[in-house]
Amino acid sequence: MIDLKFDHVSKKYRVYRDDGSPPAARALLRRVLSRAGGWQDFWAVRDVSFEVERGEALGIIGHNGAGKSTVLKLLSSITAPSQGEITVNGRLAALIEVAAGFHPELTGRENVYLNGAILGMTRREISSKMESIVEFAGVAAFIDTPVKRYSSGMNLRLGFAISAHLDPDILLLDEVLAVGDNAFQAKCIKRITLLKESGTTIIFVSHNLGAVEGLCDRVLLLRQGEIAANGKPGPVIAEYERTLGEAPAVSGPRLQRATASPAARAVGVRLFDGEGHRTSTFATGSAMRLAVEYVAEQRVEDAVIEVYFYSMYGNLHSHFSTETGGDRIDLEPGRGIVEFLCPEIGLTVAAFNVEVSIKRRGSAFDENIDSRRAAVVIIGTGKPVHGSFHMPHTWQLRRDTTQTPEEE
Amino acid sequence: MSVIRPPALSIATLLASLSKLVQHRHLLWALSVHRVKVRYKQSVLGIVWAILQPLSMMLLFTFLFSYVAKMPSDGAPYALFAYTALLPWTFFSSAVSNATSSLVSHSQFVTKVYFPREILPLSYVVASLFDLAVASTLLIGLLVHYRVPLTVNALYAVPLLVVLSCLTNGTAFLLSAANARVRDVGVAVPLLLQLGLYASPVIYPLSIVPARVRTIYELNPMVGVIENVRLVILRGMPPDFHSLAISAAMSLLLLVCAYIYFKWIDATMADFI
Repeated sequence: MIDLKFDHVSKKYRVYRDDGSPPAARALLRRVLSRAGGWQDFWAVRDVSFEVERGEALGIIGHNGAGKSTVLKLLSSITAPSQGEITVNGRLAALIEVAAGFHPELTGRENVYLNGAILGMTRREISSKMESIVEFAGVAAFIDTPVKRYSSGMNLRLGFAISAHLDPDILLLDEVLAVGDNAFQAKCIKRITLLKESGTTIIFVSHNLGAVEGLCDRVLLLRQGEIAANGKPGPVIAEYERTLGEAPAVSGPRLQRATASPAARAVGVRLFDGEGHRTSTFATGSAMRLAVEYVAEQRVEDAVIEVYFYSMYGNLHSHFSTETGGDRIDLEPGRGIVEFLCPEIGLTVAAFNVEVSIKRRGSAFDENIDSRRAAVVIIGTGKPVHGSFHMPHTWQLRRDTTQTPEEE
Repeated sequence: MSVIRPPALSIATLLASLSKLVQHRHLLWALSVHRVKVRYKQSVLGIVWAILQPLSMMLLFTFLFSYVAKMPSDGAPYALFAYTALLPWTFFSSAVSNATSSLVSHSQFVTKVYFPREILPLSYVVASLFDLAVASTLLIGLLVHYRVPLTVNALYAVPLLVVLSCLTNGTAFLLSAANARVRDVGVAVPLLLQLGLYASPVIYPLSIVPARVRTIYELNPMVGVIENVRLVILRGMPPDFHSLAISAAMSLLLLVCAYIYFKWIDATMADFI
């Protein structure tokens, strides 16, 4: 079933030459006199056609100004297309932050009702979700306080939590990973993952290529308002990165992509919890088992397989590696699996992009045989951690203070 | 299933807009309640302001035009004469002046979420309707004080209110959409409203308007509303159907044209607001 259809859609903007303001009397007069026209036409989206099936997650990537956000605005009827036809099948909602529309004198609860109504929820619907919204935003103690007394972070989280509780058939996400702290992002990604698993169609616009590859089934690359590529995430992202040139990617250090026919490829990553159930959500202090599946086309001697955990901002937080603490690996042609076991996760609450790489021992960080962004993991609250990571530890109480541990 | 196409003028798209508006009625209600709640938040007098506004105008006009200038008032006590006209006028002017800036002041919603945008100006009109109801209680007090009996003809106030609402909504649609395009409108509205006050029979009776300009004068839809409110309430007479018909026709025409213009602007409003 087709949920969304763009049929030769174009969108033209008028770019005014002077200060961008619409025809003020002065500009109007000048235009009439000179007949030169005070504006230029700018096609933000040009003859774009694509379809999205029910339950599919479509990523849209491209440079700034490529038309990504315009596509979303057209989809959600915020602005009308200049040409073409868009068909939307089902209830559509965007995950957006509406704190800018909060009324400072009203309490958090009153603002949730008002903004929920603007986002399309009925009063009854909001009432039934109020508790969950408040919990999501983490403002339970202050929900009946006027929002003018809120911190900016509380405002932002509450503004975001409302739209996170819409139950759409089609969910639009525009750079949502730029909102809030790590813990809040983890919550958002978890929510998105849940919706995806329950069959919600997702349109995901982001510069965060790792998250796009982790979440999407298919990716659309826009270039100057036109579709430059449309297909599986891997190849389309590769195509995009090729055009990035020397400009650094927004999501931080990127592993170099493999040559056209690498000697070995990482083909999949599976994550399991301590009980052996597949999951992508873990808690600090719990166990993780991570299986990397690879296919070797030819023999690779002394190979090293590594798994990196990047934050959504592109910072490398930790990694698994076969380089130390085990035997040398020689990959034989064919399929195989490398399993990593982490008895106690040290990462704290956040969402992470998981990247896998296969390389030869001793080669530089970016000299990979193959590397790919493979998954998104969410670390939820487990052991309470103060600081940036969890250190596994035990402790003992000694009553006899005349003896220090060293003297034992 | 919904299909989004480039903006086009047709009966079908207008009907579709109206049905979307009906679907979103809970939002109109929520926003209107919000306006009323917020207006008097952190104020001491609160809802009393809804009465104070027309009351203070009435006191001023009574002093200036009755006590000082000896303006005729068709036989009614001038205070009552002025207040009956100030009720519809205050409703119209407060609704229009608030609604004009409604799209611009909610641009963060207009550019982020879709909902029928006419709900924004409409919610201010509904909130002003609430103020009108509150201010009307004083009219009842005045009628009792001046011993003016109501007749069954006072029920004509209901169709008059409908005409007034059409006029107010039409003006609100027109000015709010125009203001989204050109901000000069917002600046001009206070001036236009002031002119409108003198172009309507609020402080003077229709009877002193010279007969040769009367035809043009009566094209102002506010004239038929105010004169007939006075007729049915102060004099207990049936309305003058001639002026009522002109007023209703003008208001309806304005409402339809303004709504078409509003929806035309609405289609691409997010691009330039």
